[in-house]
Amino acid sequence: MNIVVCVKLTPDPSDIEVKSDGSISLERAEWSIGNFDLQAVEAAVRLAEAAAAAGEESKVIALSAGPEAIDQSKLKKDLLSRGPDELVMVVDDALRGADTAATAAVLAQAVRKLGPVDLVLCGEGSADLYFQQVGLQLGERLCLPTLNAISKIERDGEVLVVERDLEDEVEVLEVPLPAVLSVTTGINPPRLPTMKEILKAGKKPVRRLSLAELELSGEIAPQVQVISTRAPEQRDRKQIMLSGSPEEAAQKLVEQLSREGII
Amino acid sequence: MDFRLTEEQELLIQSLEELLQREAPESLMAEFDEKKEFPTGPWQALADNGILSLGIPEEYGGTPADIMTLTLVCETLGKHAFTLGIIYALGVITIRDILQFGSEEMKQRVLTGLMNGDPPVALGITEPQAGSDAAALKTRAEIDGDTVVFNGQKMFCTLAGLSKDILLLTRDPEGANPYESISMWLLPTDTPGIRFNKMDKVGWWSIPSYEVYIENARAPKNILVGEMNKGWPQLMANFEIERLALCAASVGAAEAAFEDAVTYANQRSQFGVTIGSFQAVQHMITDMAVKNENMRNFIYKIAWMMDCGMPVRHEHAMCKLYVARASFEVIDTAMQVLGGLGYTTDHRVQRLWRDIRLMRIGGGTDEIMYNIAGPQLLKKARRAA
Repeated sequence: MNIVVCVKLTPDPSDIEVKSDGSISLERAEWSIGNFDLQAVEAAVRLAEAAAAAGEESKVIALSAGPEAIDQSKLKKDLLSRGPDELVMVVDDALRGADTAATAAVLAQAVRKLGPVDLVLCGEGSADLYFQQVGLQLGERLCLPTLNAISKIERDGEVLVVERDLEDEVEVLEVPLPAVLSVTTGINPPRLPTMKEILKAGKKPVRRLSLAELELSGEIAPQVQVISTRAPEQRDRKQIMLSGSPEEAAQKLVEQLSREGII
Repeated sequence: MDFRLTEEQELLIQSLEELLQREAPESLMAEFDEKKEFPTGPWQALADNGILSLGIPEEYGGTPADIMTLTLVCETLGKHAFTLGIIYALGVITIRDILQFGSEEMKQRVLTGLMNGDPPVALGITEPQAGSDAAALKTRAEIDGDTVVFNGQKMFCTLAGLSKDILLLTRDPEGANPYESISMWLLPTDTPGIRFNKMDKVGWWSIPSYEVYIENARAPKNILVGEMNKGWPQLMANFEIERLALCAASVGAAEAAFEDAVTYANQRSQFGVTIGSFQAVQHMITDMAVKNENMRNFIYKIAWMMDCGMPVRHEHAMCKLYVARASFEVIDTAMQVLGGLGYTTDHRVQRLWRDIRLMRIGGGTDEIMYNIAGPQLLKKARRAA
């Protein structure tokens, strides 16, 4: 079973600096693996392990696209120590800030270049923009059965039986392979790499592709223009303490919220 | 001089920190302490994630790691869950002794057990009359055919009641020179004739220590570790790394206390301002940071020297002496910054304060560290003159 798992490498959201004018700075942020994608990596590795245990040849290829900054030795080892067998990176500074359409176009072309693939897995959304679009657009571009919000995957011969989380119900669906699935964060906790896996990661194959090698002319023109990104204005807490019986406190709370124009 | 960690070390520590946040959060460690229970679940999580396999050769299923990496692991454990750091550090010496001097059967059995989550092998040295003067021990081992019969009493034998084995030191009473009359044994704790009495301590509540009464405990002769009457040099061979591991965990604890103190100083408001805006508090914070930086540099240097194969005879004793005192001072100062809150049992600083105090006593007292370092320093100066 050949599984491709798409991973977005982004500046670590916890390193975001908000400047005095409300603008966002990522200059000092370290790059990290999108935290919603780690569950997809884990799901891919578990499926491959199960396939291997059943005597089937299996491989997990991690696929990522982004600017030059993603091609960092530590970042690559971090990703590969989570279980994928190899890593393919499409690296080009033209991909800095790429929107979902461009990212899906690049990933789709890269998947085609990888040869026969049984399953493509994506995370719920990216760690930086969280549009939740790439998995769906990627499936459409590859003309494959495509589902999102997948919270459970089980192999049943040549098909997958998946659970899809909806607002009030869980759909159980049979999906023929190949397919493109986006998994929820609840599907499985990502494993933590051991020293053994970390040491092994440095020896796993990494392939770097350029946009030119993908022969993708014109397809990554942005469909969305980001005008500005600003942090919400921070206000000091008012620290109002309400005392009295529960009834009195509730009454005071309603009065206070009315006074503030909230209700 | 390159102070950077390797990428592999950074990734390992990142992974360990996440593991500790998941499996050994402060609330859980506080609960184990309060109930005076060994932290079985978190310890098993360390085993399941390969942390307990570090430093054990691949042929026994482990993952080789240098001393610097083990030091970083101890420091990280110490910072997030000091109890785990101590337990880990206690295991370092017994693992090394068994690896270096144990039989193949001992290595297979004990190392596999440790990697699967067994508590570390307890170290049975101290006796009622033999503390800092460890060579004054009296526990005897008498060979009787293919068996050996043990009699004696051990004290402060940490983890003995939980471990599967004690690395037991015995003395041949006929030997004139005590240092040439001590033998080392790997005695199973379920051997008939062994009784444990748990000792109450000020700290280390999750890491029980015992009095061990040994009366006619008979075991096969092949539990001898290394050679007869070579127990003392065998024991000394790995004391340096044990002390380094204890120091690293202590530095982690001091870092945790520092973080608690600065967080509180930035939040706590008195006289209309945060207490961190008072110079007196800023001085305390700065003194703590300087000590932490010094301690960290000291342990990293010792680890580096050991990885380079350099002798650390007096350096490690100076390091243990300094870290045991400085880490206590940092945690004590953190308690001062936190005021009344730091003295309540709700806050981890009080637990660190109780736990860290033992570092000036266990693993060799401050005074013994002076005794090791002082003569060596003078000898070095004489040689240079």
